[in-house]
Amino acid sequence: MLSAFLYAWRSLWRNRRRTLITLTAIALSIMVVQAFHNLAVGVYARMIDDGVRAGSGHLAVYRGGYLESREENLSFAPGELAARIRTIAGVQRVLPRVYLPALAQSSSDSRGILLIGVDPEAERAVNPFLKKLPEDGMLRDLDGRDAVIGRKLLGDLKLAVGRKLVVTAQHRDGTLHSELLRVRGVVETGIADVDGSLLMVGRERAALLAGMPGEVHELAIILDRAENDRRVSPALAALTGSRPELAAVSWKEAMPNLANAIKLDYASQKFIFIIILMIVTIGVVNTLLMSVMERLREFGVILALGSSPMRLRRMVLLEALLLGLAAALLGSILGALFTWYLVETGIDLKDFIPETMEFGGVVFDPVLRAAWDVSWMARIALYVVGLTLLAALYPAIKAGRITPVEAMRHH
Amino acid sequence: MPLITLADVSKTYRHGSLEVPALANFSLAVEAGEFTVLAGPSGSGKTTVLNLVGGLDRPSAGTVTVGTLEIGGAPAKILADYRLRRVGFIFQSYNLIPVLTAAENAEFTLMLQGVPRPQRRRRVIGLFAELGIDGLEERRPGDLSGGQQQRVAIARALAAEPDVILADEPTANLDSRTAEELLDLMRDLNLRRGVTFLFSSHDDRVIGRARRVVRLEDGRLAGDTGQRP
Ligand SMILES: Nc1ncnc2c1ncn2[C@@H]1O[C@H](COP(=O)(O)OP(=O)(O)OP(=O)(O)O)[C@@H](O)[C@H]1O
Ligand SMILES: [Mg+2]
Repeated sequence: MLSAFLYAWRSLWRNRRRTLITLTAIALSIMVVQAFHNLAVGVYARMIDDGVRAGSGHLAVYRGGYLESREENLSFAPGELAARIRTIAGVQRVLPRVYLPALAQSSSDSRGILLIGVDPEAERAVNPFLKKLPEDGMLRDLDGRDAVIGRKLLGDLKLAVGRKLVVTAQHRDGTLHSELLRVRGVVETGIADVDGSLLMVGRERAALLAGMPGEVHELAIILDRAENDRRVSPALAALTGSRPELAAVSWKEAMPNLANAIKLDYASQKFIFIIILMIVTIGVVNTLLMSVMERLREFGVILALGSSPMRLRRMVLLEALLLGLAAALLGSILGALFTWYLVETGIDLKDFIPETMEFGGVVFDPVLRAAWDVSWMARIALYVVGLTLLAALYPAIKAGRITPVEAMRHH
Repeated sequence: MPLITLADVSKTYRHGSLEVPALANFSLAVEAGEFTVLAGPSGSGKTTVLNLVGGLDRPSAGTVTVGTLEIGGAPAKILADYRLRRVGFIFQSYNLIPVLTAAENAEFTLMLQGVPRPQRRRRVIGLFAELGIDGLEERRPGDLSGGQQQRVAIARALAAEPDVILADEPTANLDSRTAEELLDLMRDLNLRRGVTFLFSSHDDRVIGRARRVVRLEDGRLAGDTGQRP
């Protein structure tokens, strides 16, 4: 039965090949934009995850001012706080840590290092580098003399597993205190700075060295999903509310390098997306304009029959809308298939890059995997429908300007 | 009062700096129910008259009045509505929409008018029977002969139940037998339905079947037989 919809749909397929080519072009651009966005989301999520696990968590609690000054006097006693934070929905783990700048000495050499005191069990469950350590390479308790050392530092100090070293750090009382440790495990993050200065011990051992028993510098909080920081932050603020000396900080503030690197990378990707969509839109303008120019006579007849120019414009826009919707549907199906492949199989860069790849201070996995961002996919599909309509605006205006007498005289 | 009145109408087209006079001080009155042909050589102004009466164009001077509507002064919106509700057009080259079936083509103006679907269908089916093209409803224009296409075009023009049907050389693309059949059909509709027909032709056999012949030459009135029985 005749309707504006039917007329628009049949008109769309008048030049089947041209419409198919245009439809395919729009659909492919949707597919590429959706899949590569999802790939970026997956890769960033992975990097953030690796970053927060090796670093200071998705969220971290510090004594106010500590993050800026790294002043070891700014420690605090977590008390019940760690246990209460663990009860917030979305929180996976809470890692109390002590950080001390110190001097490490072996029988043959010495180096400035960062002594990190951790809860071995909790830390191992989260930290990707500690996970790789064998059972007998891991710290055994909070206040033992076991140490885990960076691969490069191990070499610099000409040490080996089982050998002893002495660390010296400043005590609260202003004097220097030393402690004898024994190398138990070796980690390699791939980042030279870290591997050359990392020395990890039980948290209480480090705290005692600095004369701050029971205190920590940081509570690193690991969430189940990075996006949950928006939900957890307020709950965390409520918990720390009674202790105004404490401040909660998100990974974006704690790891500005990574956050900025991601921002920059995504901005350049967005720029490419915009270019792709612009090129496609210009192609659509061309197709629709051609289709209007070929039908000047028919449009003249429709106007002669009594259609208002506005109505004729709407008919042209309706054709574009149908084209856009069909392309959005097809493109999203292709985008979903492509994303599915990138989620399941991913892109393996192992053969193309050096052993470790660093991005914003975080080493990342050579297999790039996408993550689903369905709402964004839907949004881009809608944008493209909008762009198709935008592309139809000029052809539609042109169609509305036709004068029937001229159109029927010449065409 | 006549249905259509052209009073002292001039129409000048512009080709850059060149002015082409298509009509000069042309006057004509057509009563409701007439079956009138505009005759005259090529370029004499026949199409121009039909375009003016159909509200597709405005006179350069003089007035064109159809019913109570003065074409020259009416806003474009009113003219579009006038064409939609009161005028039926038949063109020399049929001008059916190729992607629509015969029935859908005939329905087109009814769709523009917003007539509900079942009513549209009913009216078109009736017209197809009346015009002898029943059974061709689902064919595309490309699968119809010229005569059949022009009958579909007549159905499209009639479907909206206009006051006047304007036909610019409706038979020029048809062989003479089909042309005569079509003209008899139009005359029949004119008699039975009382629709006013104003059409143009330079085919003498077609002209001979009209009840009134208005002759044009160089945009001027060159003869008018008046209504013949
Ligand atoms: N849109 C236009 N622009 C310029 N000149 C025009 C236009 N329409 C008509 N003319 C000129 O006006 C004059 C009358 O044209 P018109 O089409 O009315 O003649 P006609 O009697 O219908 O001729 P034909 O039998 O060839 O169809 C001609 O000289 C024609 O060239
Ligand atoms: Mg003509």
